[in-house]
Amino acid sequence: MSLIADPPVRRQRRGRLARRRRLAGFLLSVPAIVLVAALLWTPIVQAVRYSMTNWNGYSAPVWIGPSAYASAFGDPIVRRVLENNALLLLAVPFAIGIPLIIAALLHEHVRGWRFFRSVYFLPTAISWVVIGMVALQFFADRGILNQLLADVGLGSIHTDFLASEYSALAALAITFIWSMIGTNTIIFLTGMATLDPTLIEAARVDGLSRRQIFYRVELPLLTRFIQFSFVITVISAFSALFSLIFVMTGGGPGLGTTTLEFFVYQAGFAQGQFGTGALYGVILFVIMIIVGIGQLRLIRSEDGEGW
Amino acid sequence: MSRIVLDAVSKQFPGGATAVSSLDLEVSDGELLVLVGPSGCGKTTALRMVAGLEEVSSGTIYIDDRPVNDMEPRHRDIAMVFQGYALYPHLSVYDNMAFSLKYRRAVPKAEVKKRVSEAARILELEPLLDRKPRQLSGGQRQRVAMGRAIVRQPRAFLMDEPLSNLDAKLRVQMRAEIAQLQRSLGTTTIYVTHDQTEAMTLGSRVAVLNHGVLQQVAAPQEMYRNPANLFVAGFIGSPPMNLIDARLERGSSGPGGSGDPGGSGDPGGPDGPQVVFGHHRLGVPAQVTAERPGLARYLGRNIVLGVRPEHLSDAALMRDADAASVIELPVRLREELGSDVQIHCGIGAMVHHGEAALQDVTSLATLVARMDPQTALAEGQQARVHVETTRLHFFDPETGASIRG
Repeated sequence: MSLIADPPVRRQRRGRLARRRRLAGFLLSVPAIVLVAALLWTPIVQAVRYSMTNWNGYSAPVWIGPSAYASAFGDPIVRRVLENNALLLLAVPFAIGIPLIIAALLHEHVRGWRFFRSVYFLPTAISWVVIGMVALQFFADRGILNQLLADVGLGSIHTDFLASEYSALAALAITFIWSMIGTNTIIFLTGMATLDPTLIEAARVDGLSRRQIFYRVELPLLTRFIQFSFVITVISAFSALFSLIFVMTGGGPGLGTTTLEFFVYQAGFAQGQFGTGALYGVILFVIMIIVGIGQLRLIRSEDGEGW
Repeated sequence: MSRIVLDAVSKQFPGGATAVSSLDLEVSDGELLVLVGPSGCGKTTALRMVAGLEEVSSGTIYIDDRPVNDMEPRHRDIAMVFQGYALYPHLSVYDNMAFSLKYRRAVPKAEVKKRVSEAARILELEPLLDRKPRQLSGGQRQRVAMGRAIVRQPRAFLMDEPLSNLDAKLRVQMRAEIAQLQRSLGTTTIYVTHDQTEAMTLGSRVAVLNHGVLQQVAAPQEMYRNPANLFVAGFIGSPPMNLIDARLERGSSGPGGSGDPGGSGDPGGPDGPQVVFGHHRLGVPAQVTAERPGLARYLGRNIVLGVRPEHLSDAALMRDADAASVIELPVRLREELGSDVQIHCGIGAMVHHGEAALQDVTSLATLVARMDPQTALAEGQQARVHVETTRLHFFDPETGASIRG
């Protein structure tokens, strides 16, 4: 009889305990929630509000409303800026592929691999401003690249890379790829260190060549690491290039290297149009949310079906 | 035809550690040879050398009379089953099994499907073909690993402790399945294990390794009956053979077993040899001295006496126990095993401890007997233990070699 009567009592106790635990959890979270609300949510809400005004930072903001967004998307300058962002995304496969190859070679533990690992990781430890200055010297009209081309007898293709719109964007993309090599190489090396060596041995006995093992065994098992690297590379392409652009090209020539992130700065701080700056900032924020959610979905679906 | 030969094969790792020392082995076509030994004895290294996963330091490995030392694993046409199964986690059971055929040999799709289906049928994996390895139990994973090896129809199977991750019951079941499978396929197989029971039950021949050195290769029963040395004697058999430091003496003084100090029986004749340990004396039958003429050289010298636990029985249950073969020992422990009982007796003599692996047993200085469960012997009692003296083993205490010819 007692066996039958027991469960509801225990359930009741468990229910009370669970409620108490939930309350304790909530109380402990309150300081963090307050901080996040004050430092993150409030500015976000404010930015959204300002994005629908013509606030110049001094006078009282005049409400424009959601039509500000409609006119922004109709603006050919905004479209050009978004096009630059899209073109920079073309650098992402290289910013992932090159480190993947470097990591695969380092993982073979050739002589001096530790030294090379440090060398490849070095760009990560350098400030974006310094990288931008070095890149400026490299791609300049009388820079290192043109000098190298002249030295190997290719002086005829001398180009001022930073003087034309698309070559400047290409120079920016190359610098971005270079600066991502260290981080992504370390991510892939970490991933490769987690691979079960017997799987590679099994593939060797199963008759696969080294190249087949890389493509058929190692690469699929590195999916999570590649996804992670993809997430941070795309985010960097959208929101970490400000310093490079500022130092290398100042967004030019024309709008050649102006990205949405740089455009926010130009509108808000160079032209004093804080309302417009907030508008572009919110657009960038929404794009990042869409990209982020898409990537999370991708990873989650792998979690469900993958290994 | 698939024959594997290891000719004086050695493996030294950087730093000088020798894993395998001048190993000579021949595995005939269709044979299942079991490499057995304690951890670190070099058995897995030897197997990995055959697979091509470790380089050979010296000596030559032949597969079908072709030296393969410098051949990549993928060109050796062998299949390996790993201890942790090494299933590709991102592939389904079907793709795991078909993996090698798909990417290595460009076997037509229909043929791949046929072979995988056939292997899945044999191994009862048909309902699991769409699952990923993480969705399988240990036993099922083990089957998939076997299936992956089978579909390739390789020249040889190499199995590296494939059952060691399974629980005891499943291990027994899978052991039987592997044995049946290997017999029906007739594929040459080298099977590595540290479990001597697995080695005895599976192998058509068993090779025992210790410290990288081959100790003995023989059929399981032959190895059990005639261990070549102390290591094999102590390693093969469960519980292991009792090894006692003893002395071989001429039996002119008369007394037989310690339980019958005035006993008349001396199977070896009045002058026949006797084994003496502590205050116990056992007559060595003439049949034994005839089979082991080398014993004559050890008269008056120390030897190591070996007695299998099942060759010790309760004299009280025997009608005509020969007094010369009976010794009296105090019972220290009785262990019930159902089919029989294990009686641990104090022997009042040094138990041989030449091998570090046996020290935990020898330190107890006990003799383990496997007896009929009807025996009434209990802890604290004095037991009259009959020793089957025709089944005694003798070893040289210096070299550890069995004393025979």
